[in-house]
Amino acid sequence: MRVGKSTFLHLCLAFSLSLILILILLTLVSAQEVDSLRSSTDSAYTIPDSGLVLVAPVTSLIAEDYKYDDGEQLKLSWVPSIDDQLVDSKVLGYRLFRSIDGGTPEILAKLPPGTNSFLDRTVQRERKYQYYLETFSENFVVQSIVTAAISPEREWLNLDRGWLFIIALFISIAIIFFVEKAKRGHKLYVRKIAGLEAIDEAVGRATEMGRPVLFIPGINDMDDVQTLAALTILGRVSRTIADYDSQIFMPVSRSLVMTAARETIKTSYMAAGRPDAYSDDMVNYVTDEQFGYVAAVDGLMVRERPATVFLLGAFFAESLILAETGNSVGAIQIAGTARPAQLPFFIAACDFTLIGEELFAASAYLSGEPRQLGSLKGQDVGKGLAMSVIILGVLAVTIATAWDVEIMHNVHNWLLGVFSSN
Amino acid sequence: MKRLVPLTITFIVGFVLIFSVFLPPAEGLDQTFTLYFDIIAVFAFFLGGGNLMRVHINKLRRQKKDWGFSVVTIAGFLFMLAAGLFKIGNPGDIATAVDTQGSLFKTVFDYVINPLQSTMYSLLAFFVASASYRAFRAKNREATLLLIAAFVILLGRTPFGMMVTGWIPDSFSIFQIPNLAIWIMNSPNLAGQRAIIIGIGLGVISMSLRLILGVERSYLGDDNA
Amino acid sequence: MEHVALWVAAFLTLGIISFLYKDNPWYKLCEAIFVGISAGYWFIVLFWDNIVGKFWVGVFPPKELNDVGELVNSVEPDYWLIVGAVLGVLMLMRLIPNIGWISRWPLAFIIGCTSGLYLINYFSSNMMRQVQGTIMPLLGMNYELSTYDIIGNIIIVIGTFTGLIYFYFSKEHKGWFGRAAKVGIWTIMITFGASFGYTVMSRMSLLIGRVDFLFGDWLGLIN
Repeated sequence: MRVGKSTFLHLCLAFSLSLILILILLTLVSAQEVDSLRSSTDSAYTIPDSGLVLVAPVTSLIAEDYKYDDGEQLKLSWVPSIDDQLVDSKVLGYRLFRSIDGGTPEILAKLPPGTNSFLDRTVQRERKYQYYLETFSENFVVQSIVTAAISPEREWLNLDRGWLFIIALFISIAIIFFVEKAKRGHKLYVRKIAGLEAIDEAVGRATEMGRPVLFIPGINDMDDVQTLAALTILGRVSRTIADYDSQIFMPVSRSLVMTAARETIKTSYMAAGRPDAYSDDMVNYVTDEQFGYVAAVDGLMVRERPATVFLLGAFFAESLILAETGNSVGAIQIAGTARPAQLPFFIAACDFTLIGEELFAASAYLSGEPRQLGSLKGQDVGKGLAMSVIILGVLAVTIATAWDVEIMHNVHNWLLGVFSSN
Repeated sequence: MKRLVPLTITFIVGFVLIFSVFLPPAEGLDQTFTLYFDIIAVFAFFLGGGNLMRVHINKLRRQKKDWGFSVVTIAGFLFMLAAGLFKIGNPGDIATAVDTQGSLFKTVFDYVINPLQSTMYSLLAFFVASASYRAFRAKNREATLLLIAAFVILLGRTPFGMMVTGWIPDSFSIFQIPNLAIWIMNSPNLAGQRAIIIGIGLGVISMSLRLILGVERSYLGDDNA
Repeated sequence: MEHVALWVAAFLTLGIISFLYKDNPWYKLCEAIFVGISAGYWFIVLFWDNIVGKFWVGVFPPKELNDVGELVNSVEPDYWLIVGAVLGVLMLMRLIPNIGWISRWPLAFIIGCTSGLYLINYFSSNMMRQVQGTIMPLLGMNYELSTYDIIGNIIIVIGTFTGLIYFYFSKEHKGWFGRAAKVGIWTIMITFGASFGYTVMSRMSLLIGRVDFLFGDWLGLIN
């Protein structure tokens, strides 16, 4: 069959057109592929026709066991989408999905942009968990890889607190060492503490004046270590009161403190050989309400006019109201607290103030028992350690930064590491 | 025996809680303790509340001085117990919280307890003034330092501080009172706070050990008691 | 009703303030009301929160219907809470004279818990962190520290160090040790002064609040 010239030309034209069309299509498709590839790795862009705001997924998603817990947490971390920007961010947030033992993934949390970690506290040791994150813009969602299956593990020892344990153990051993040493008859020197030396004199004054001693053990309950300190001091003070045949009254704001205080005073009166002089009425409950208690104690102070007032324990805003009222009735006042914010008011309004550590040392000091005094020596070992570390650390960081001495950098970093163990 | 059991309880419980900090499986024990404590504290209130009633009933019975006020205290106490236990005037059923707005319990809190609290608290303004006056009269070096620091911080927190020292050139701006106040807060104040706080940490270790080891046991009463 | 309540609040406010003049029947009345009402208030709050909210609901959790229509516990009951209640009941043994000593057991339990908990907590937050915070450079080289910052750092280090010397129990405050302790107590006094000065202003604002109530809310003299 012969093909005509015009037919041939038409065929050539059709072929050429088809070729051009195919080429155009191919170009378009490949361009789209390149762009979609770029959208998932470089930056967001909007396809003009579709209006989609494409965003890249998060990368490096890792699920790992949370260290030093009872096997009840898993830690997730990731690098946020590169489209997650501080300003004009295309990313509106993330959705975290979790599947348990290979089951259907369910949404676990919705997280704001900028988030790069998550602590899953709702896991169990006997289950396996997988996670993935969805990054979403206003109309587009992209998924990250799915993490490998993982179960939380239980750790028996918290190694993060290793140094805390070692240093606390060191100081505790020092305290026990000196307690034992004192028990064996070694004489230990403890300097005089003015506020505590004044206690006998203050109680004696109350006896001479025929007026009572008022003891306030702070306003916190027995779950505050300052209240315990106050009760241990009460043990010594009430012994002196029993010996001097003076009177004590003790309004308290907590029922448990009332019970413990009665036991303490009763013991002292027994030890002084005057059980008959003890009465439960020495300690009375007033109210748990902070200022209600203060109103009652203020009233008591002006009516009973105590010769001596002890304000020992945990105090808050009421410290100054009590101390000033005590001052106005002419009482000798011995105060002490471990709350630094209240100490200035006691300093201004009281005759003697036990500052922080002195409050905890007071009962040991007052007991005069060698074993108890030994514990104060142990405390001083702790202070010596703190002072040595401060000197060493300050020298190391100063030399390290001024002359760039590497070994000093190492010493400084090591000390920071050790003392950040908590 | 009467002492041995409590001493053993303190010893065991104390050490278990110390070690719980380092043993992850035991870490929740502190919360369990808090729960137990909260429950015990309410039981103890029966003793405290009972004591409050007893003291005031005795005063009333013996017609002691000011016994009339004891009547008010007893009445107030019983009134509040009734209002709270029976949830009087609660808008809603018995399941709603006791301090729901509109209940008698909440109304009494708002119009009786609250103004009393706030007023008692506000008395501090007068007491601060009298304490400042006393500190001002103190003559020793320590009290003078306290006073100077207090004065600088006080002025530094008011516009007056800038008015007085605003003329000082910028190169010596540290001597402008507001800046000096900030410097005192950040340097010497911090140093003193640190010494006190470190001391407290050590004091607590020592006292806690004395209690746990039974070296300090005055709170436990006597065997013959 | 609200009008009456406002007058009651004003009456109580003035009654408390009257104490500044001297102890008087008006203050005594306010005090009696305050003690009675507030003791009752706290008992009720603790009762509903702790006994009902924590103990009862913990041991006997509310029931709910499950998928197959059975009535089941909404959460697992925590029977360990009964230990707390038993300790609480032991506390009440004080009321029975012959076995009153049993109440020392719950007390011993609380003392053991408080001591054990605080020992490490205080040590960690008070000693470890504060020592770490005091390790700071005393020279400005390679640091962007102003002269004032350096002087500040030096004062912090010396002040903390000498402050600790002040609290030292094993050595008498004599000679160089005594002088160092003296510097320590000066630093501590400046700290107290700073704290005092810092609080004065806020205390004044409390009074202003009450004056505002009396002359604004109650008398309507100021807006």
